[in-house]
Amino acid sequence: MIIRKPFQEKWKPILIGLISIFLMIGLYFFMSFRQHEINPKDTTIPTITQLMKGFSKITAVSHRGQTWIGQDSKATLYRLFLGIGMSVILSLLIGLSMGCFAFLEAFLLPINALLAKLPPTAMLAVFFVLTGTDTTMFIAMIVFGLTPTISQNIYLAVKQIPMETIYKSYTLGGNSFEIVYKIIFKMVLPAIIDSIRLSIGPAMVYLIAAEMVVGDVGFGYRIRIQSRLLNMSVVYTYLAFLAFFGFFMDFLLKYIKSRLCSWQRT
Amino acid sequence: MKNLFILVLIVSLTFTFGCGGSTPPPATDKPVTVQAKPVGEAQKFSLAWSEWPGWSVFGVAHELGILDGKEGKLGTIEKKYNVDIILKEMEYDPCITVYGSGQVDAVCLTNMDTLPNCLGVKSVGILPNDTSEGGDMCIVVGIKTPADLKGKTVYGLEKSVSQYMLVRNLELNNIKESEVKWVNMDPAAAATAMQQKKPGYDAIVAWNPFCLQTLATRTDSTVLFDSSTIPGEIIDMVIVKDSSLKKKGGKEFALALLDAYYQVMDRLKDPKTEDETLKLIAEKFSNLSLEDMRKVKKGTKYIYTPEEALKFFESDKIKKTMELVVDFCVSHAVVDKKPVVKFGNEKDAGDADFRFDPTYLKEIIKTRK
Repeated sequence: MIIRKPFQEKWKPILIGLISIFLMIGLYFFMSFRQHEINPKDTTIPTITQLMKGFSKITAVSHRGQTWIGQDSKATLYRLFLGIGMSVILSLLIGLSMGCFAFLEAFLLPINALLAKLPPTAMLAVFFVLTGTDTTMFIAMIVFGLTPTISQNIYLAVKQIPMETIYKSYTLGGNSFEIVYKIIFKMVLPAIIDSIRLSIGPAMVYLIAAEMVVGDVGFGYRIRIQSRLLNMSVVYTYLAFLAFFGFFMDFLLKYIKSRLCSWQRT
Repeated sequence: MKNLFILVLIVSLTFTFGCGGSTPPPATDKPVTVQAKPVGEAQKFSLAWSEWPGWSVFGVAHELGILDGKEGKLGTIEKKYNVDIILKEMEYDPCITVYGSGQVDAVCLTNMDTLPNCLGVKSVGILPNDTSEGGDMCIVVGIKTPADLKGKTVYGLEKSVSQYMLVRNLELNNIKESEVKWVNMDPAAAATAMQQKKPGYDAIVAWNPFCLQTLATRTDSTVLFDSSTIPGEIIDMVIVKDSSLKKKGGKEFALALLDAYYQVMDRLKDPKTEDETLKLIAEKFSNLSLEDMRKVKKGTKYIYTPEEALKFFESDKIKKTMELVVDFCVSHAVVDKKPVVKFGNEKDAGDADFRFDPTYLKEIIKTRK
């Protein structure tokens, strides 16, 4: 085996990837089968028929014309996008200014480094106190969790731009703000998109942890109540939705990156 | 091709180890040995418990050396019955999940929360620890009578005993459930919101210690009603899997739990050791002070003796209670299917999903004399 030697055929990595996914699914059903051999009435590792029942439960239309999955996705996605959006805007400001200006770097870097190490899930109770228990709280949790990390990533990306590039831009007659917007921002854009992509996972962790405690709608709420009732068929279906959503967002951001930063491809 | 081989190897390794760890011990069909003289190695059984006045007693039993909760170590009672009881302390919600998935033999649950469980795992109630008679409260600010609740929003944990307590009290006051808006919230969060005087939070339902805390912190808050209006309907109890009771040593396990529980209860009953024992329980229940623990004890009615417990298990009242609770669970989508609840020993009620079995209580009454 030679390190990094690629496959000759294009189909091979795809096939292997599919095998791994099927193995995972197979493993799950094997475990479910075994659990049902021990206890035929088990609901904790649902079989495919139980999962189908769970699926029909979450897509059943209530008398008010709503489905569980519809209501919950709407609430959770709204909170998630608002939270991530605000974190990105804030991180962009902080990250770029830390990377470009020595005063702001000295001022913001220590706070950032400290806050980046605080897990918001451990501070749930603090958030109730500071922000109340409405949408503000969910957003605050995500913003608090993501901003230090994303801004640090942006800061590091800015720092990696060679001084020569910046001197050259000055020589060509650009002023500082033009250089920040026209040169630096564009050069760190791929790093920004990657950073957002990697933040979706943590953002969902924070949001769902908060929803498990407060709120009467959302993925975290439904998962908590339904696992209390041992309706694991519902819980697993929700988890599958979350996984697909994460996968889709990942894919989307990769696509956006390839369109916006086609110059970066080597 | 070599790469493919290695990949398959890794995957198959994960496969073997991933499953191997979670194999539960197979249930044996051997007849239950009579507890005469302990022979052979102590059988291992586990009990999941969460902090609650009635259940923290098991934590106290561990402290006193009656039960050693660690695996492989035996307390005095464990030696007597030759069983190794493993105590697993966790939050209440995980208790439900680990019991439902068959990872523990016994669990501390309320009568209501056992219902969704028993549809998957045939369950036996062997020991009622306490009943809530004031321990679950509806705390309000600026609301004078239950009728004033109409049109208001009440916060509390959905599909739990909190909601049950509220709905039953509304019924008793002839208020329709639809007239009051119920919004799900963790009791700790709801209590915090009320203590901070957040607008809109003028009615919450929670249990202790959150209630005590809220009443102490917010002087204008009052108790509108509590579970004392529905005495004996919220039962905190020990539930054992039917299959575990049938295992070798299963009966001894049940008796050991009862024996340990009543030994601590004896200490709690005795005026000489009462304060000391209550302090120990308080340490295992949110680390409350003795005074607070005394207040909690008023709302949580301990069932001190097996005789009392037996009377409770065989009363007509508990049968009516369970009908009410089952109806609530069906109408509030806590369960999809109506579970079969019966009262009696295995011979009379063995086909039930959830049975209240007085066999072990009777046995312990005999041995305690």
